[in-house]
Amino acid sequence: MTETFRCDDKDTLIAFLYHEIDPPLRDAVEAHVRTCAACTDELAALSGVRLGLAAWAPPQPELGFTMVSTRAADAAARPAATVVSAANGWTQVPIWAQAVAAVLVLAVAAGVANVQVRSGPDGVVLTTGWMSAPGVTHAATAVAAVAPGTENWKPALAALESQLRDEIRAARPAPAASMRAATVTGGDEGTITRVQVLLDESEGRQRRELALRLTQLNRDMDIQRRADLVRIEQGFGQIEGRTGAEIARQRQLVNYLMRVSAPQQ
Amino acid sequence: MVATDEELVARSMAGDSESFNQLVLRWERPIYALAYRVIGRDEDARDVCQDTFLRAFRALPGFKGQAKFSSWLYRIALNLCRDWIRRKKRTPLVDLPEGTDLGDMAADQGPAESIEDLVARREMSGLVAEGMQRLPEEQRTAIILKEFHGLTFQEIAELQGCPLSTVKTRLYQGLGVLRRHLESQGMTGLYGGRAS
Repeated sequence: MTETFRCDDKDTLIAFLYHEIDPPLRDAVEAHVRTCAACTDELAALSGVRLGLAAWAPPQPELGFTMVSTRAADAAARPAATVVSAANGWTQVPIWAQAVAAVLVLAVAAGVANVQVRSGPDGVVLTTGWMSAPGVTHAATAVAAVAPGTENWKPALAALESQLRDEIRAARPAPAASMRAATVTGGDEGTITRVQVLLDESEGRQRRELALRLTQLNRDMDIQRRADLVRIEQGFGQIEGRTGAEIARQRQLVNYLMRVSAPQQ
Repeated sequence: MVATDEELVARSMAGDSESFNQLVLRWERPIYALAYRVIGRDEDARDVCQDTFLRAFRALPGFKGQAKFSSWLYRIALNLCRDWIRRKKRTPLVDLPEGTDLGDMAADQGPAESIEDLVARREMSGLVAEGMQRLPEEQRTAIILKEFHGLTFQEIAELQGCPLSTVKTRLYQGLGVLRRHLESQGMTGLYGGRAS
């Protein structure tokens, strides 16, 4: 069966343009294009657009993404562009932050469970329960007795909690090296976003600076190259001039020798 | 002998992260280029590129190999680009800061390319980027996948979830818009330069 092509069949025209067409249909389009100026023009224009598209080049940044094992990851040595495995994100939280979280959980749990600690003749008594009356120690769900010498542990715990809170506050601007890891593990998102924005701006500035320097370097090199070419041409001209003069002098000398050595008539 | 994508995927699924790193190395540039051309911003394109590989790594156990690994990656990247565009709620901007593109292009240029050629190429690149910015996302993506990544019509149709004929129509319409844009800017007969 003979394939045919009509001018308004744009799907086939595009298939022909990209050489993704069955041979019989391709032959039909070729035959049609030979006799149709409109389709010839359209194909030429579309090919031209494709040529123009080829000029559209993306930047060539250093990417260097790598997958880093969470155990092997050394935050200090990690490159800026790193894909971090988030298989076990909790292990990426620092130990001190885990300790703070544990203390906070305990504190909240103690508050929710209405924990009461009393010191008596039997030592320290820890009582929990929603409705426990002050005198009902046996209704508690958990009772713990500790030695009288350690009864100041609660203020110490409170002091530790306070100290850890201070440390968290002090350490809030997260280090840049662990920023991307923190992004993955879902840490303090507000801080991370701010740091990310700052880093991105810094990267952008550095990139623009680099591009500017490259452009200047390129321009300087081009100017230098042209100057060198001019100098070389001048040098060649001088050499040619000197060589020509030398040849003329040699010729004169040879002529003179010929004349004086010729037999006198 | 260079391992194929499928071999590297199989090794990665068996727990060899180095094989996955080889896949990243092989595909990071095409994925970055795709993201850059679709969303038009260098920094965001890097983020999309990084997220693409992170998602791919996480989803690797679910990769059954019905599609090519590259098509699977392209799909993830395009979804992320779409999310980015939706999140920003704006047309992608083509980031052409003064100097940056020229520097990148200067680094790319061959030794024989003169400054004049470089400037002309930069001008054309900027015009094409402007024109692409005007296209609907589907047309822009179809053109990018066809022109710069060499996908077949069928592969683009699968990635975009549309019939084959729709892909061809998007390409035709997109190229037409670009053609008119370039002509309106004085680029004719390709396009041997700006018309006087």
